[in-house]
Amino acid sequence: MRQFSDYNPAAVAVWFFSVTGIAMFCSYPPLTAITALGGILFYLLGAGFSHGKTHLFFGMLFLVLALANPLISHNGVTVLFVLNHNPVTLEALLYGINSAAMIVGVLYWFRSFTRIMTSEKLLYLTGMLTPKLSLVLSMALRFVPLLRRQSEKIHDSQLALGLYREDNMPDLIKGKMREFSILITWALENGITTADSMTARGYGIRHRSTYRRFRFQAGDILLLGVTAVLLGICAYVIHRGAFAFAFYPAVTMQPPGYLAVCGLLSYAVLVLLPFGIEMEVGIRWRSLLSHM
Amino acid sequence: MLLIRNAALRTGIRTAVPFLVIPVLTIAGAVVFDRNRHIIISMAIAVFALLLFAAGYEKRSTGSRRMVIVAVMTSLCFAGRFIPFLKPVAALTIITALYLGGEAGFLVGALAALLSNFYFGQGPWTAFQMLAWGMIGLLAGVLADPLRRHFPLLLLYGLLAGLLYSFVMDIWTVLWYAQGFRLSLYLGALVTAIPYTVSYAVSNVLFLLLLAGPIGKKLGRIKRKYGI
Repeated sequence: MRQFSDYNPAAVAVWFFSVTGIAMFCSYPPLTAITALGGILFYLLGAGFSHGKTHLFFGMLFLVLALANPLISHNGVTVLFVLNHNPVTLEALLYGINSAAMIVGVLYWFRSFTRIMTSEKLLYLTGMLTPKLSLVLSMALRFVPLLRRQSEKIHDSQLALGLYREDNMPDLIKGKMREFSILITWALENGITTADSMTARGYGIRHRSTYRRFRFQAGDILLLGVTAVLLGICAYVIHRGAFAFAFYPAVTMQPPGYLAVCGLLSYAVLVLLPFGIEMEVGIRWRSLLSHM
Repeated sequence: MLLIRNAALRTGIRTAVPFLVIPVLTIAGAVVFDRNRHIIISMAIAVFALLLFAAGYEKRSTGSRRMVIVAVMTSLCFAGRFIPFLKPVAALTIITALYLGGEAGFLVGALAALLSNFYFGQGPWTAFQMLAWGMIGLLAGVLADPLRRHFPLLLLYGLLAGLLYSFVMDIWTVLWYAQGFRLSLYLGALVTAIPYTVSYAVSNVLFLLLLAGPIGKKLGRIKRKYGI
């Protein structure tokens, strides 16, 4: 019983890139709608209803992106009105709305991805390919708070030495530059010390294993398998051209064919996978509680 | 710096990516799919290019000291991205490349993009950003000798790097929005991005002016003292 974010990062990453990849690969309005709605729902599932500013920003972005296309592109046959001697067409507007929904939807997905894929999961993923790169990344991450702490110490000691004045601008800038210079010297020297102590403890000797924080469990393999099958169906549908949609010169509404419905359904299932997992976890948790 | 230890995997990537994967992807992008698929193709190529770079490192002798210095410079870039308006990432990448070589420059640029996007937001643009900053570092490493000898040339390189970075990222914006390249949209994107372009160019020149001397001296000293 694991929440979706506790699944193996490799499985989660494959699932995630399938969802966003299909979304970016197709400009088929029903699919875009699923992407955008799914992205928003998934974001709400993870982050709750509190992030009003994010939603406001994405809403504004959606408006700007949707309105940018009809102002720039004048293709299409249905002229809505004429602005500065340029026709503004319905088709261009619809195209803009579709693109904007796709972009904002993918941005929502990436927000959730950034929240789920914390740095230790990234280190696990890069470690699968190259442990050395993952070590550089993890050290760089560790240096950020270290540098901040050290720069506070340097600032305090400069103040205590009386070498620092904050009341006039040139002195302030000079002081900041001096602090920064000290910080860099310290960081480089400290880095060398770290490296030497790593070597002294046997780093880089051959035949040493790397610590793996996550393992593949049955659920991860199931998630990977289901993702692969659904991705395969979607790829087949795309390959057969059932997700093709022409905005120009005119939008023709026709009901989606059998293949397109199959593709849409499998994409929807793919998007809803984490919701299913979360729901299953919730139900099990309730039943465990009720049996107590 | 040896990044991928498995030799078979390394040679596999190094032969397959440039001679098989990238041509196939490009041709498939042009022929099999219609031209609306440029965005995903270009993303895949960016990711494979990054993989290729990871497989390209193979100097064994450099050891952990060099690796830690790369990590330090990466985290300095990361911290530098918090400065409002002015971004020292490219400048720090260039300085690293001048003293530690193009390889290290590429790594610092690419990893700084990857790591700092955990704070500033990951997106489909991460791969492009990694590649763009990495290439700025790699090129600076290739041109290290003339750039180190002539300071104005270094400033010019910083200016051009800032402009090119912005232009390249705008191509990617257009690809994403229109799912294909359209010149009118690209020009529009260039115009709306002018404040950013100016900020990149100005901060590159400014930070190179301020930091190239002092940090360069420190890196040079560390290099001499510890034989990196």
